[in-house]
Amino acid sequence: MIMSEPATTPDPNTPAGMLEGDLVKRARRGDLHAYDELVKRYQERIYATIYHMTSNHEDANDLAQEAFIKAYSALKSFKGGSSFYTWLYRIAVNKTINFLKQRKNKFHLSLNDIDFNAEHDPDLMALISDKTPTREVGLSELQKKLNEALLRLSEPHRMVVVLHDVQGQSHDEIAEIMGCNIGTVRSRLFYARQQLQGHLAEYIKP
Amino acid sequence: MNQSENNFKDLKNLLKLKRHEVPPPGFFNQFSDGVIARIREGESRGAGSFAERLNDSAPWLVRFLRIFEAKPGVIGGFATSLCLLLLFGVVLAERSESGPQNILTASSGQADSLVSSPSLASATTPEFGSADGGIAISTNASLQPVASVFGQPSGAASLFQSASFAPAH
Repeated sequence: MIMSEPATTPDPNTPAGMLEGDLVKRARRGDLHAYDELVKRYQERIYATIYHMTSNHEDANDLAQEAFIKAYSALKSFKGGSSFYTWLYRIAVNKTINFLKQRKNKFHLSLNDIDFNAEHDPDLMALISDKTPTREVGLSELQKKLNEALLRLSEPHRMVVVLHDVQGQSHDEIAEIMGCNIGTVRSRLFYARQQLQGHLAEYIKP
Repeated sequence: MNQSENNFKDLKNLLKLKRHEVPPPGFFNQFSDGVIARIREGESRGAGSFAERLNDSAPWLVRFLRIFEAKPGVIGGFATSLCLLLLFGVVLAERSESGPQNILTASSGQADSLVSSPSLASATTPEFGSADGGIAISTNASLQPVASVFGQPSGAASLFQSASFAPAH
Protein backbone atom coordinates (compact mmCIF):
# COMPACT_ATOMS: atom_id res chain seq x y z
CA MET A 1 0.00 0.00 0.00
CA ILE A 2 1.40 3.31 -0.99
CA MET A 3 0.95 6.03 1.55
CA SER A 4 0.32 9.40 0.04
CA GLU A 5 2.59 12.10 1.34
CA PRO A 6 0.70 14.61 3.49
CA ALA A 7 0.33 18.01 2.00
CA THR A 8 2.81 20.39 3.59
CA THR A 9 1.22 23.46 5.05
CA PRO A 10 3.53 26.38 5.72
CA ASP A 11 4.31 27.14 9.34
CA PRO A 12 2.24 30.18 10.38
CA ASN A 13 5.20 31.39 12.45
CA THR A 14 7.40 31.74 9.38
CA PRO A 15 6.93 34.58 6.86
CA ALA A 16 5.80 32.09 4.19
CA GLY A 17 2.86 30.99 6.33
CA MET A 18 1.77 34.42 7.52
CA LEU A 19 -1.25 36.37 6.38
CA GLU A 20 -0.70 39.48 4.29
CA GLY A 21 -1.82 41.79 7.12
CA ASP A 22 0.68 40.30 9.58
CA LEU A 23 3.48 40.53 7.05
CA VAL A 24 2.67 44.18 6.41
CA LYS A 25 2.68 44.94 10.16
CA ARG A 26 6.05 43.27 10.58
CA ALA A 27 7.48 44.97 7.50
CA ARG A 28 6.36 48.34 8.85
CA ARG A 29 8.46 47.64 11.94
CA GLY A 30 11.46 47.10 9.65
CA ASP A 31 11.35 43.30 9.35
CA LEU A 32 12.95 42.69 5.96
CA HIS A 33 12.23 38.94 6.08
CA ALA A 34 8.53 39.75 6.16
CA TYR A 35 8.90 42.22 3.32
CA ASP A 36 10.91 39.68 1.33
CA GLU A 37 7.90 37.37 1.56
CA LEU A 38 5.58 40.14 0.33
CA VAL A 39 7.90 40.77 -2.62
CA LYS A 40 7.88 37.06 -3.49
CA ARG A 41 4.09 36.94 -3.39
CA TYR A 42 3.53 39.83 -5.80
CA GLN A 43 6.71 40.07 -7.89
CA GLU A 44 5.35 38.14 -10.85
CA ARG A 45 2.16 40.16 -11.20
CA ILE A 46 3.88 43.51 -10.68
CA TYR A 47 6.66 42.65 -13.11
CA ALA A 48 4.20 41.34 -15.71
CA THR A 49 2.05 44.48 -15.57
CA ILE A 50 5.05 46.74 -16.04
CA TYR A 51 6.50 44.52 -18.75
CA HIS A 52 3.26 44.54 -20.75
CA MET A 53 3.18 48.33 -20.46
CA THR A 54 6.79 48.89 -21.54
CA SER A 55 7.44 45.86 -23.79
CA ASN A 56 10.97 45.96 -22.42
CA HIS A 57 12.37 43.41 -19.97
CA GLU A 58 15.18 45.61 -18.58
CA ASP A 59 12.88 48.58 -17.98
CA ALA A 60 10.31 46.30 -16.36
CA ASN A 61 12.95 44.82 -14.06
CA ASP A 62 14.19 48.27 -12.95
CA LEU A 63 10.71 49.73 -12.51
CA ALA A 64 9.41 46.71 -10.60
CA GLN A 65 12.37 46.87 -8.20
CA GLU A 66 11.89 50.61 -7.74
CA ALA A 67 8.18 50.11 -7.08
CA PHE A 68 8.89 47.57 -4.32
CA ILE A 69 11.59 49.82 -2.81
CA LYS A 70 9.28 52.83 -2.86
CA ALA A 71 6.49 50.77 -1.31
CA TYR A 72 8.80 49.71 1.53
CA SER A 73 9.89 53.28 2.25
CA ALA A 74 6.25 54.44 2.14
CA LEU A 75 4.87 51.60 4.28
CA LYS A 76 4.44 53.93 7.25
CA SER A 77 1.99 56.00 5.21
CA PHE A 78 -0.03 52.90 4.25
CA LYS A 79 -3.26 53.33 6.21
CA GLY A 80 -4.81 50.00 5.26
CA GLY A 81 -7.81 51.61 3.52
CA SER A 82 -7.25 49.23 0.61
CA SER A 83 -5.41 45.93 0.44
CA PHE A 84 -1.63 46.03 0.36
CA TYR A 85 -1.82 44.39 -3.07
CA THR A 86 -3.97 47.23 -4.51
CA TRP A 87 -1.78 49.87 -2.87
CA LEU A 88 1.36 48.27 -4.27
CA TYR A 89 -0.22 48.05 -7.72
CA ARG A 90 -1.05 51.74 -7.59
CA ILE A 91 2.57 52.60 -6.86
CA ALA A 92 3.78 50.41 -9.73
CA VAL A 93 1.21 51.82 -12.15
CA ASN A 94 2.03 55.45 -11.31
CA LYS A 95 5.75 54.79 -11.56
CA THR A 96 5.32 53.13 -14.94
CA ILE A 97 3.09 55.86 -16.37
CA ASN A 98 5.53 58.56 -15.20
CA PHE A 99 8.41 56.64 -16.77
CA LEU A 100 6.59 56.28 -20.08
CA LYS A 101 5.65 59.96 -20.14
CA GLN A 102 9.29 60.93 -19.64
CA ARG A 103 10.41 58.52 -22.33
CA LYS A 104 7.64 59.82 -24.62
CA ASN A 105 7.63 57.93 -27.91
CA LYS A 106 11.13 56.48 -27.77
CA PHE A 107 10.23 52.82 -27.59
CA HIS A 108 12.77 50.06 -27.63
CA LEU A 109 11.35 46.57 -27.72
CA SER A 110 13.10 43.99 -25.57
CA LEU A 111 10.60 41.16 -25.64
CA ASN A 112 10.64 38.08 -23.49
CA ASP A 113 10.45 34.64 -25.01
CA ILE A 114 7.11 32.93 -25.51
CA ASP A 115 6.73 29.81 -23.41
CA PHE A 116 6.10 26.35 -24.78
CA ASN A 117 2.42 26.33 -23.80
CA ALA A 118 1.56 29.03 -26.34
CA GLU A 119 1.95 26.53 -29.17
CA HIS A 120 -0.73 24.37 -27.58
CA ASP A 121 -3.28 27.13 -27.14
CA PRO A 122 -6.04 26.42 -29.70
CA ASP A 123 -7.31 29.99 -29.69
CA LEU A 124 -3.89 31.31 -30.55
CA MET A 125 -3.25 28.68 -33.17
CA ALA A 126 -6.52 29.52 -34.86
CA LEU A 127 -5.33 33.08 -35.32
CA ILE A 128 -2.11 32.22 -37.07
CA SER A 129 -2.35 32.63 -40.78
CA ASP A 130 -2.09 29.58 -43.01
CA LYS A 131 0.48 31.46 -45.03
CA THR A 132 2.95 31.42 -42.15
CA PRO A 133 5.64 28.81 -42.90
CA THR A 134 6.05 27.54 -39.35
CA ARG A 135 4.12 28.11 -36.17
CA GLU A 136 7.16 29.43 -34.29
CA VAL A 137 7.76 32.20 -36.78
CA GLY A 138 4.06 32.99 -36.75
CA LEU A 139 3.97 33.44 -32.99
CA SER A 140 7.09 35.61 -32.93
CA GLU A 141 5.69 37.85 -35.63
CA LEU A 142 2.36 38.04 -33.90
CA GLN A 143 4.07 38.91 -30.62
CA LYS A 144 6.00 41.76 -32.22
CA LYS A 145 2.93 43.18 -33.98
CA LEU A 146 0.84 42.90 -30.84
CA ASN A 147 3.42 44.75 -28.71
CA GLU A 148 3.82 47.46 -31.32
CA ALA A 149 0.06 47.92 -31.47
CA LEU A 150 -0.14 48.19 -27.68
CA LEU A 151 2.59 50.82 -27.64
CA ARG A 152 0.53 52.94 -30.02
CA LEU A 153 -2.17 53.34 -27.37
CA SER A 154 -2.01 56.10 -24.79
CA GLU A 155 -0.72 55.04 -21.35
CA PRO A 156 -4.12 55.02 -19.57
CA HIS A 157 -5.76 53.04 -22.39
CA ARG A 158 -2.89 50.58 -22.56
CA MET A 159 -2.99 50.15 -18.79
CA VAL A 160 -6.68 49.28 -18.82
CA VAL A 161 -6.23 46.69 -21.58
CA VAL A 162 -3.23 45.16 -19.82
CA LEU A 163 -4.93 44.99 -16.43
CA HIS A 164 -8.24 43.65 -17.79
CA ASP A 165 -7.55 41.56 -20.88
CA VAL A 166 -4.05 40.34 -20.03
CA GLN A 167 -3.93 40.29 -16.22
CA GLY A 168 -7.60 39.45 -15.74
CA GLN A 169 -8.42 42.16 -13.18
CA SER A 170 -12.03 43.23 -12.65
CA HIS A 171 -13.36 46.68 -13.54
CA ASP A 172 -13.67 47.50 -9.82
CA GLU A 173 -10.07 46.60 -9.10
CA ILE A 174 -8.82 48.59 -12.08
CA ALA A 175 -10.86 51.61 -11.01
CA GLU A 176 -9.31 51.42 -7.53
CA ILE A 177 -5.79 50.94 -8.86
CA MET A 178 -6.05 53.76 -11.39
CA GLY A 179 -8.00 56.10 -9.13
CA CYS A 180 -10.94 56.60 -11.50
CA ASN A 181 -14.56 55.43 -11.66
CA ILE A 182 -15.81 52.23 -13.27
CA GLY A 183 -17.47 54.11 -16.14
CA THR A 184 -14.12 55.57 -17.12
CA VAL A 185 -12.55 52.12 -17.00
CA ARG A 186 -15.27 50.69 -19.27
CA SER A 187 -15.07 53.50 -21.80
CA ARG A 188 -11.27 53.37 -21.89
CA LEU A 189 -11.38 49.62 -22.39
CA PHE A 190 -13.86 49.91 -25.25
CA TYR A 191 -11.89 52.64 -26.99
CA ALA A 192 -8.57 50.83 -26.50
CA ARG A 193 -9.98 47.58 -27.94
CA GLN A 194 -11.33 49.45 -30.95
CA GLN A 195 -7.93 51.01 -31.54
CA LEU A 196 -6.15 47.69 -31.19
CA GLN A 197 -8.56 45.97 -33.52
CA GLY A 198 -7.79 48.60 -36.13
CA HIS A 199 -4.03 48.24 -35.70
CA LEU A 200 -4.20 44.42 -35.84
CA ALA A 201 -6.86 44.07 -38.51
CA GLU A 202 -4.77 41.76 -40.71
CA TYR A 203 -4.31 39.29 -37.84
CA ILE A 204 -7.89 39.23 -36.65
CA LYS A 205 -10.60 37.48 -38.62
CA PRO A 206 -13.50 39.78 -39.55
CA MET B 1 -21.90 44.73 -23.30
CA ASN B 2 -22.05 41.04 -24.34
CA GLN B 3 -22.30 42.14 -27.96
CA SER B 4 -19.15 44.20 -27.63
CA GLU B 5 -17.41 41.31 -25.84
CA ASN B 6 -18.26 39.11 -28.85
CA ASN B 7 -16.96 41.77 -31.21
CA PHE B 8 -13.61 41.69 -29.48
CA LYS B 9 -13.39 37.89 -29.06
CA ASP B 10 -10.53 37.45 -31.53
CA LEU B 11 -8.68 40.40 -30.09
CA LYS B 12 -8.99 38.93 -26.62
CA ASN B 13 -7.66 35.63 -27.91
CA LEU B 14 -4.75 37.45 -29.48
CA LEU B 15 -4.04 39.27 -26.24
CA LYS B 16 -3.72 35.86 -24.57
CA LEU B 17 -0.35 35.66 -26.26
CA LYS B 18 0.95 38.28 -23.82
CA ARG B 19 0.38 35.85 -20.97
CA HIS B 20 2.83 33.44 -22.54
CA GLU B 21 5.68 35.97 -22.57
CA VAL B 22 7.97 34.93 -19.75
CA PRO B 23 11.20 36.46 -18.39
CA PRO B 24 14.48 34.51 -18.53
CA PRO B 25 14.56 31.31 -16.41
CA GLY B 26 15.46 31.93 -12.76
CA PHE B 27 14.64 35.63 -13.01
CA PHE B 28 12.16 35.57 -10.11
CA ASN B 29 14.46 33.48 -7.91
CA GLN B 30 16.82 36.43 -7.63
CA PHE B 31 14.36 39.30 -7.94
CA SER B 32 13.39 39.61 -4.26
CA ASP B 33 17.05 39.29 -3.20
CA GLY B 34 17.87 42.24 -5.44
CA VAL B 35 15.06 44.33 -3.94
CA ILE B 36 16.06 43.54 -0.35
CA ALA B 37 19.74 44.20 -1.11
CA ARG B 38 18.87 47.62 -2.55
CA ILE B 39 16.72 48.45 0.49
CA ARG B 40 19.57 47.45 2.86
CA GLU B 41 22.04 49.47 0.81
CA GLY B 42 19.77 52.52 0.98
CA GLU B 43 19.27 52.14 4.73
CA SER B 44 22.99 51.83 5.47
CA ARG B 45 23.75 54.77 3.24
CA GLY B 46 21.02 56.89 4.81
CA ALA B 47 22.00 56.11 8.38
CA GLY B 48 25.77 56.10 7.86
CA SER B 49 26.65 59.36 6.27
CA PHE B 50 25.50 62.74 7.50
CA ALA B 51 27.36 64.38 4.62
CA GLU B 52 25.34 62.48 2.02
CA ARG B 53 22.05 63.37 3.68
CA LEU B 54 23.18 67.00 3.82
CA ASN B 55 24.16 66.79 0.18
CA ASP B 56 20.66 65.59 -0.66
CA SER B 57 18.89 68.27 1.36
CA ALA B 58 21.19 71.29 0.91
CA PRO B 59 23.70 70.80 -1.91
CA TRP B 60 24.48 74.53 -2.01
CA LEU B 61 25.72 74.39 1.59
CA VAL B 62 27.97 71.44 0.84
CA ARG B 63 29.43 73.26 -2.18
CA PHE B 64 30.06 76.34 -0.04
CA LEU B 65 31.79 74.33 2.70
CA ARG B 66 33.97 72.56 0.14
CA ILE B 67 35.62 75.91 -0.67
CA PHE B 68 37.35 75.75 2.71
CA GLU B 69 38.58 72.18 2.37
CA ALA B 70 42.39 72.12 2.53
CA LYS B 71 42.51 75.92 2.22
CA PRO B 72 43.38 77.29 5.69
CA GLY B 73 44.39 80.62 4.19
CA VAL B 74 40.94 81.12 2.73
CA ILE B 75 39.12 80.19 5.92
CA GLY B 76 41.55 82.38 7.95
CA GLY B 77 40.90 85.33 5.68
CA PHE B 78 37.17 84.70 5.81
CA ALA B 79 37.23 84.60 9.63
CA THR B 80 39.35 87.76 9.83
CA SER B 81 37.06 89.63 7.49
CA LEU B 82 34.07 88.52 9.58
CA CYS B 83 35.77 89.81 12.77
CA LEU B 84 36.64 93.12 11.13
CA LEU B 85 33.11 93.47 9.88
CA LEU B 86 31.81 92.87 13.40
CA LEU B 87 34.23 95.40 14.89
CA PHE B 88 33.34 97.95 12.24
CA GLY B 89 29.69 97.43 13.00
CA VAL B 90 30.22 97.98 16.73
CA VAL B 91 32.28 101.14 16.17
CA LEU B 92 29.75 102.47 13.70
CA ALA B 93 26.93 101.85 16.14
CA GLU B 94 28.85 103.60 18.89
CA ARG B 95 29.59 106.57 16.68
CA SER B 96 26.00 106.88 15.60
CA GLU B 97 25.00 107.12 19.28
CA SER B 98 27.62 109.76 20.16
CA GLY B 99 27.68 111.47 16.75
CA PRO B 100 25.63 114.60 17.58
CA GLN B 101 27.66 115.14 20.73
CA ASN B 102 30.91 115.07 18.77
CA ILE B 103 29.55 117.55 16.31
CA LEU B 104 28.60 119.88 19.11
CA THR B 105 31.96 119.31 20.80
CA ALA B 106 33.67 120.33 17.64
CA SER B 107 31.43 123.39 17.41
CA SER B 108 32.29 124.35 21.01
CA GLY B 109 35.81 125.18 19.85
CA GLN B 110 34.32 127.61 17.43
CA ALA B 111 32.16 128.94 20.20
CA ASP B 112 35.24 129.54 22.38
CA SER B 113 36.78 131.59 19.64
CA LEU B 114 33.57 133.50 19.41
CA VAL B 115 33.58 134.02 23.17
CA SER B 116 36.93 135.75 22.93
CA SER B 117 35.10 138.51 21.18
CA PRO B 118 33.41 140.51 23.96
CA SER B 119 30.75 141.98 21.83
CA LEU B 120 29.52 138.64 20.71
CA ALA B 121 29.96 137.10 24.13
CA SER B 122 27.86 139.63 25.80
CA ALA B 123 25.15 139.12 23.32
CA THR B 124 25.02 135.36 23.52
CA THR B 125 25.82 134.09 26.98
CA PRO B 126 24.45 135.15 30.33
CA GLU B 127 27.92 134.37 31.84
CA PHE B 128 29.33 137.43 30.24
CA GLY B 129 26.10 139.29 30.12
CA SER B 130 25.83 139.83 33.88
CA ALA B 131 28.42 142.17 35.15
CA ASP B 132 27.46 141.95 38.78
CA GLY B 133 28.18 138.30 39.14
CA GLY B 134 25.79 135.32 39.37
CA ILE B 135 25.72 131.82 38.18
CA ALA B 136 27.11 131.07 34.79
CA ILE B 137 25.33 128.20 33.13
CA SER B 138 26.51 126.68 29.98
CA THR B 139 23.66 125.46 27.83
CA ASN B 140 25.93 123.54 25.52
CA ALA B 141 24.98 119.89 25.70
CA SER B 142 28.36 118.75 24.44
CA LEU B 143 29.93 119.97 27.61
CA GLN B 144 27.97 117.52 29.76
CA PRO B 145 30.10 114.67 31.16
CA VAL B 146 29.71 111.22 29.61
CA ALA B 147 29.00 108.74 32.36
CA SER B 148 30.35 105.67 30.63
CA VAL B 149 31.59 104.14 27.44
CA PHE B 150 30.21 100.66 26.71
CA GLY B 151 28.30 100.84 30.01
CA GLN B 152 31.38 101.26 32.21
CA PRO B 153 32.86 104.34 33.85
CA SER B 154 35.41 105.78 31.58
CA GLY B 155 38.25 108.20 31.77
CA ALA B 156 36.98 109.65 28.55
CA ALA B 157 34.54 111.63 30.64
CA SER B 158 37.38 113.86 31.77
CA LEU B 159 37.95 114.84 28.19
CA PHE B 160 34.73 116.75 28.26
CA GLN B 161 34.38 120.10 29.88
CA SER B 162 32.23 119.96 32.98
CA ALA B 163 29.42 122.36 33.70
CA SER B 164 30.51 125.29 35.70
CA PHE B 165 28.40 126.49 38.59
CA ALA B 166 31.08 128.83 39.92
CA PRO B 167 30.08 132.43 40.41
CA ALA B 168 31.23 134.58 37.60
CA HIS B 169 33.46 137.47 38.46
